[in-house]
Parts: sequence; structure tokens; C-alpha cells
Amino acid sequence: MATGNGRLIDYDALVREDAVHGDVYLRQDIFDEEMKRIYQRGWVYIGHQSEIPDPGDFKRSWLGLQPVIFSRDKAGKYHVLFNRCTHRAASICQEDWGNTTGFRCEYHGWLFRTDGELAAVPYADAYGDNFDKSRLNLRRPPRVDEYRGFVFASMSETGLSLTEHISGPAREQIDYFCDLSPEGEILVQCGATKLAYDGNWKLQMENTIDGYHPNFTHQSFFSSIERITGSKPGIFKGDSLSEVRDLGMGHTNIDTRAYNRADPAVKARLDMMQQTSWGKKYYDDLVEAHGKERAEDVLTVGGTHMNIFPNLCVLGQQVRTIRPISPDRTEVFLRPSLLKGAPDEINTMRIRQYEAFYSPHGGGIHDDVEMFNRVSEGLRCTIDPWLIFQRGLHRETVDEDGVRIGQCTDETSQRGQWRHWKTVMQEEINL
Amino acid sequence: MSALRDKVENFLYKEARLMDENRYLEWAGLYADECLYWIPCNEEDYDPAKHVSMLYADNNLLKSHALRLNEGKAFAQQPKSRMRRIVSNIEIDGDEGDEEIGVFANFTVTEIRKHEQRVHSGRSEYKLVSENGSFRIKYKKINLVSIDEAQDNVTFLL
Repeated sequence: MATGNGRLIDYDALVREDAVHGDVYLRQDIFDEEMKRIYQRGWVYIGHQSEIPDPGDFKRSWLGLQPVIFSRDKAGKYHVLFNRCTHRAASICQEDWGNTTGFRCEYHGWLFRTDGELAAVPYADAYGDNFDKSRLNLRRPPRVDEYRGFVFASMSETGLSLTEHISGPAREQIDYFCDLSPEGEILVQCGATKLAYDGNWKLQMENTIDGYHPNFTHQSFFSSIERITGSKPGIFKGDSLSEVRDLGMGHTNIDTRAYNRADPAVKARLDMMQQTSWGKKYYDDLVEAHGKERAEDVLTVGGTHMNIFPNLCVLGQQVRTIRPISPDRTEVFLRPSLLKGAPDEINTMRIRQYEAFYSPHGGGIHDDVEMFNRVSEGLRCTIDPWLIFQRGLHRETVDEDGVRIGQCTDETSQRGQWRHWKTVMQEEINL
Repeated sequence: MSALRDKVENFLYKEARLMDENRYLEWAGLYADECLYWIPCNEEDYDPAKHVSMLYADNNLLKSHALRLNEGKAFAQQPKSRMRRIVSNIEIDGDEGDEEIGVFANFTVTEIRKHEQRVHSGRSEYKLVSENGSFRIKYKKINLVSIDEAQDNVTFLL
């Protein structure tokens, strides 16, 4: 039991091993508590370092509902600062991104540097002799840390470190994504497509690592592929070698390694790529950087398809951020990434491949969004409030790292998210 | 009104009508075999080789999208949007007899899907090539007013 708005919320009654109650997507008090427990106390993804490469660069982001500025100071250090004037609370950064020498609150003219330091207060003498400007720097989350350029913040001074939060099996997936770059760095610098829907943020979280839906929700996309290649991909079939995995801490992925390693089409594509001068250069540079075995495996696996709980998805070419707004409103920012050091042809191809499915006028993502809206409509029926997450429960296995594994159409991944969600929502802490 | 303006207007109105009526295969037929269809994202001008677009399509990709929307299994368009476009503010850069002319036009689409009405507006930039007394579209770039907004559902073509 835990309290939400003074009322007891019985999470045991809402989240079972094989099903969750529709209230978890609908209730305002549960949403409010999620914002405190998951989106403040926990580690929340803010942005990627490469989005603000130069001194003075900034972008707006959110820690749950709270607006923050992700900025780089003139010495090159990055900061996560609350977008709130320490005087009378007006937001001080209005542009979504840009470059600046400082942030001026236009209400009364207080000026902050890009590292958050309060630089100037107009007519400061009226505050008296004891006025200590240094106590009124921009506020910041007590903990900020990163893994391979992915920057996270937590409002809790104590708790698991980011390394503990994103443990080995999850880091391994991020490594697959970043190691596609010959320099081991991705660049989140080619813009964002954005979508919104009338539904709960967890619907996007569940969907990203849902290996059951593609052959149905996205059948029109696969038909398009079939018209070009002559066959439908088997990657998401009920007998595919692909897996879904619960990596712990709510992190999950669709693991297509076994499928891709066995698929002659993947091998043929890689061989074909090497017929071009740029493809050959990319291959050679990857081998130089990672060694032949790792380079070939990275290319075969082709990145990852994963969630870092609660708001980061890394998949295909993209870095995706989920922004909860209310129990029934969510925005999602999808940012394709480039591979630092890779030939331009490779990076342009990544952008085009991304657009084919994920852009607003592309062939896939809005069919997902349509399903979120349909779920949100169906959730209003209370006669049977349960959503079933039972698929493959009887055939789940656990590996030596504690990773739970199911066939890719199983719901092992969603169960992992819900298990962690419930743990966090039931934690004995003072909010 | 000049004969050229007449011809251009008729062509743009026809294009709009085909889109309004979800006749995307016929609509794709208005495009030249070698064409570029571009809806920029986030900002209006950048190198599309280095920045994501809402759509950056050649004739094949346009046809592929048209076929997908036509098939009835693109669920974001099931049911389909009911739409009408107003095309206006037409400016023409070229003369009668030119092989290729530039055209600029504003548009507003009123769309209703699942009982919800939405409006999408923008400015299109065309390069039209003469063919059999009418035109084919060699280039179309659509600068949306909502170029940097989170969109609920914009799966139809513009």
C-alpha cells in the first residue's frame, strides 16, 4: 500500500503477474504518484550530450512534468537546470533549442549564466547588504550522470547510481547501438519528428518492445516491403528466433540477434554494402575500431531495440523520449541519430530508413499511435478492466545474468516493466 | 488572367481534389518519373542528407505510400480522413512555353476523422514540367505551419 493524494492505492490489486488493471492508465492519483516516484526520484533521461555539442548550446527537456534546460557552459561542461527563475518562478528559456551566452528572465531582468550561476540582479541594492546572490543560482537535480552520452537526472540525493540502474545487460544493448559508429559515438543532431496521443505514457513504453503487434498493426508496412522484395520478413512471427527480454530495473528489449545471425538476407545486405566504396570504408573502419569479430557482429545485429525505464527508447536508428503530460496525454520525440565517423552515405541512408517507418508521413508509427488511441477508448469499459500480459509466461527462461527471456511475440518484456513499476510504486519512502 | 495561370490553377485544383478524395494512386500519377517530394521537419531549409524530414520521397516511394494508404490496412487511416483543401495565394515564376515553371501556393486542409476536426496549413513550392498541354510535378516541397509540432495523426499525404 502507498498513499496517493491521501488515498490508499493498493498496487497488489492493480498489477498481477499476468495482467494489469485499466486504472493504472487512467487514474490521476496514480499518475501524480508516478511523477513523484518514477519521474523525480528515479533516473530520468534528459538528452544526449551530442545534442548540445558547443559551449552555449542548450535544449529544453523535462523531468516528468518539470521543465529543465540541458545546457553546455562556456567551459564545455553540461548541466541540467530547472527552467525557473529563482526570483518569482517565470520560465527563463523559451526556445526549444539554441545557443546563448546566458538566460535572462524577462519578467524582472535577472540574468543567469549557462552553468546556472545568477550573474546579475537589476537594482540589487534594494535587497539590502546581506543579499547573497550565490544562493539564488538556478536549481538543479541533485544527481546527473551519463552513459555513452545519454544523460540522466534524478531528484533523489540517494539511491542506486546510474551504473547500478542501467546494469550490464542493458548497457550491452546501448553498446550495440553506439558501436555502429567507427568512433563509438552516436550524434543526435539531425532533428526530431514528434507525435502526440490521447493516452497514457506507458502505452508507448509497452509498445516499443512489443514483438507481438508488428505483423498485425503494421501489416500495411510489411505489405509495402513485400511489394519491393517479394517476401514478408519473418522476424516477428510466432516461430521466429527473435526474443523479448526483461533486463531488470524495468529495462527491456526485443533481441533480434539470433534471428539476424541466421538470416541469409542480413548477410546478403552486408555483402552488398561492401560492394560500394563507402560501404567498404565503413566496414574497414569498423573492423579497425572494434576488431573483425565484434565489427561483423555489430553490423549483423544492427543496433538494438530497447527501453530504458521509464522514458528512453533506443531502437533502429533512433533515440526516442517519452514525455508524460497527463494520464491521458503523451508526447513522444523521435530523434534519428548519425554515426560519428561513418561515411555520409551511411548516415543519409539511416535518415531515409528512419523516415520510411517513423516519420509522421511514413509507413508505420502512426498505426501504433492509432492503437494507443483505440486502447484509450476501450479502457473506458469497466465491465472487464483487466489487460492480459500472459503470453509466454509458462515458457519464460532466465539466463545467468537474471535476464528473463521469451519468444519475441511473448509478453516477457511488458511483464518486466510492470514488475519494476510495481516495485517502485510500492517502495517504502517518504515522498 | 493569363492562359498559363489558368493552366496552373486547374492543375493545382485537380491535385488538391485527388488528395481530398483519397485518390492517391491517381495523385501519384501527377508526378514525373524523376521527381522529389519533400516535407521538411523542424525547419524549412536544411540539407536533407543530414537532417530528418517528414517525408523525402522519389516517385517509387510516393507510389509505395499511395499503395499502402489504398490497401485499407493502414489503420491510422481506418476510417479515412474526410478532407477538403483550399489552395490559394498562387504565385507563378515562369512564362508560357517554358519547359519548367516554378509555382508557390498556400493551402489549408480541413480534416475530420473520427468526429474530430483539425486544420493543417502550409505553403507548397512546385517545379512543374509541361506535358501534353498540362503538367507533371518534378518537385514539390511542403512547408507546414506545424513544421515543428507534435502531431496526433497526419498519415494522409499533402
